[in-house]
Amino acid sequence: MNAAPRRLRRQMLLPLATGLAALALWEITVRWFAIAPYILPAPSLVLRTLWDNFDSLALAWLFTIKVTFGALALAVTGGVLLAGLCALSRTVELALFPFAIVLQVTPIVAIAPLILIYIDSTTAALLLCAWIVAFFPILSNTVIGLRASDPNLRELFALYGASPWQRLRWLLVPSALPYFVAGLKISGGLALIGAVVAEYTAGAAGRETGLASRILEAGFRTEIPTMYAALTLVALTGVAIFAGFSLLSRLLLRRWPAGGGRRDEGQE
Amino acid sequence: MRYGPERAVLEAITFTVPPGQFVALLGPSGCGKTTLLRLIAGLERPDSGRLAVREDPGGVAPSYVFQDPTLMPWASAFDNVWLPLRIGGASRAQACARVQAALAAVGLADAADARPDQLSGGMRMRVSIARALVTRPRLLLLDEPFAALDEFTRQQLNDDLLALWALAHPTTVFVTHSVAEAVYLSQRVIVLAARAGRIVADVAIDLPLPRPRRLRTTAAFAALCAGVTEALER
Amino acid sequence: MGSGVTRMRTAAVRLAARATSRVAGFVALAGALVGALAGAAPACGADKVVFATNWKAQAAHGGFYQALVDGTYARYGLDVTIRQGGPQVNNRPLLATGRIDFLMGGNLLHAFDNVKNGVPTVVVAALFQKDPQALIAHPGQGYEDFTRLRDAPVIYVAKDAQFTWWQWLKVAYHFRDEQLKPYNFNLGPFLANPRAVQQGYSVDEPVYVERQGGFKPVVHLLADHGFSTYSTLIEARAQMVARQPDLVQRFVDASIVGWYNYLYGDRRLANAAMLRDNPAASEAEFEASTALMKSQGVVDSGAALADGIGAMNPQRVREFYGKVQAAGLYKEGDVDLGKVAVYNFVNRGVGLDVKRSLQAH
Repeated sequence: MNAAPRRLRRQMLLPLATGLAALALWEITVRWFAIAPYILPAPSLVLRTLWDNFDSLALAWLFTIKVTFGALALAVTGGVLLAGLCALSRTVELALFPFAIVLQVTPIVAIAPLILIYIDSTTAALLLCAWIVAFFPILSNTVIGLRASDPNLRELFALYGASPWQRLRWLLVPSALPYFVAGLKISGGLALIGAVVAEYTAGAAGRETGLASRILEAGFRTEIPTMYAALTLVALTGVAIFAGFSLLSRLLLRRWPAGGGRRDEGQE
Repeated sequence: MRYGPERAVLEAITFTVPPGQFVALLGPSGCGKTTLLRLIAGLERPDSGRLAVREDPGGVAPSYVFQDPTLMPWASAFDNVWLPLRIGGASRAQACARVQAALAAVGLADAADARPDQLSGGMRMRVSIARALVTRPRLLLLDEPFAALDEFTRQQLNDDLLALWALAHPTTVFVTHSVAEAVYLSQRVIVLAARAGRIVADVAIDLPLPRPRRLRTTAAFAALCAGVTEALER
Repeated sequence: MGSGVTRMRTAAVRLAARATSRVAGFVALAGALVGALAGAAPACGADKVVFATNWKAQAAHGGFYQALVDGTYARYGLDVTIRQGGPQVNNRPLLATGRIDFLMGGNLLHAFDNVKNGVPTVVVAALFQKDPQALIAHPGQGYEDFTRLRDAPVIYVAKDAQFTWWQWLKVAYHFRDEQLKPYNFNLGPFLANPRAVQQGYSVDEPVYVERQGGFKPVVHLLADHGFSTYSTLIEARAQMVARQPDLVQRFVDASIVGWYNYLYGDRRLANAAMLRDNPAASEAEFEASTALMKSQGVVDSGAALADGIGAMNPQRVREFYGKVQAAGLYKEGDVDLGKVAVYNFVNRGVGLDVKRSLQAH
């Protein structure tokens, strides 16, 4: 049983160590070559800028997070509902999927300006852009998951006369859960990307603005350290989302043999 | 029963099973014995002909044991055995006694909380059998349930199955391709032909019940096996 | 998975920046060497120079394209590449990092920001005496009064402007970010909504609007409301100004001559070149724009009449800074005005003879 804590420690310490080493290398390089801050700011300067501007950057950060998670929540709702419909009816699936695919493959960079023209509220437009990139993995994975239930189990449920509702609750949902969670992990990161890309197009429009807008502004002002500072916050958000969803996945899939990562804990 | 224009899987099968009898369906691979079992279970419909399964007045559905244990991997052994009762509307508390009894009957009383991936192949099959029996069915259908297990476990489970059957005597149809298993378990072996299943032989097994310990080594057993084997080769 | 990609991208950005700075260092060194050699000996081969604009090619860039196509830059020993900007493009950081040599600045606020942030760039010429930056609106909507614009439901402003004169409008005239929507060089949204307002150059957008929308828009020049900056500035690295003043002088002079030729001479080749860069425009629009530039006195007016196009003086820079500081854009001591511009490359009457000979015909 000591394997788990030790492994977790290794999982966390190793990336931390390499990250710190990279930062140290960066700092040393900048100082050694006396690189100007408007070309490549040192990590120490980036952190100082982050600290100095934390008030305004924090507001922007909060807004970006709101858009990301708002879009994600909508993506989960929409994705799961649509997946349910598609799994129930082949016709619905065949009718809907082409639209879903077109939305998925068209780069959001190209769609965002159009959405910003048609939709009045900038926040709504941002949510929509982030939703578009985030909902497809959830939809697609959940549909696969709902269909992935063991056919023998399905026959068993039929033999015992289970109602469709019982079938959904006790067979389809547990079968689909690992697939859904996999889709969720992907969509978490994508929602952030969608929010940032949409904001890049929107610029400073709207009452509240997020980190991408700050990056843009700093770019036009050639305030490179501020760009890095805002970018750091974006990266941190991405990492937090990834870590958060990994944890969620572990919790939800506790009872699944292959899902909780307990494979190598050894049994007979 | 036909799967395509060329191949008929089953043709002109006619037999009757009196209630409470243990029948083995024996035949080589591809003879349609699984299809026949699924027809009886209602999982498939015949393309022509009639299938009459007299409904138990208690209305309990037939129980089916698949070739693999078909357990829900995310649920404990208890929850798996509870499933038929749960579908029927029984809460966990209401079903608890019967589920525990079923698990105990297959010798897994203390594995109630184990998940399938924590159990051995033989234990998983026992859970599957426990689930089949928890509803006290009048008709029990088994499709080569022990085929994937080793010889020793298989013989063990044969005895356990007979013991369980002796408790309530459900009408049992057991599909197998093992002659010895068919003779050992059943009171009647129906032999199906290799292609386009027809009944080739209907052999009565009048060995004593419960089966004596060294039955497999007796001459009577060997003779019956020989007879059945000969029917298979026809 | 998503943020694994983000981390890789961040790492890639860092790597690229490191590589860029190394390359930039080499380029600067090489450039300095070449410059030194070029200064020491007669130029053998033209100096390669990249000039980036701040918008898609339009008549307001005409003088530069003129100098390119009629051989003026070549005569001054320069091999110039013009790199146009656009609604989604931000060329500004390229100057400081050495990727470009000269940058077109839309107004002095960019230069103030750079000095404030310690970015070593400097203004060397001001081609426009008047900033044609304007807000345009539909007629008959009550927008004839400038102060009514702050009540407009939506104002389309491009990204780089969002961070310069829009900020000034917010503090000086109480415009609000809620009105703001990005302007992507597409007149559609403005034309479709009578209550909409958008940015424009007083010499360009009204022409486009009349052609595409069929009406003459209401035009409010920001310069008439206190935005007294120079415009279409040429910005350069302070290092280049110090080490290669001859190169800078030649570029400035050639550009000024180009402007005289564009305004008063045969500009058809220049227009053709701009059309190649920006196929969405038309020759007719360029001609109409040029007429407006002359009638509004955008380029050749005021001090430029005596001192030549590009004329700049420090008093006006100081005065403009005073205005925007009073409006709250900068705090006391934010900007060292001495670093904003150098005035020795202009005010020398370059090109006046060209103008005289062109107007004589």
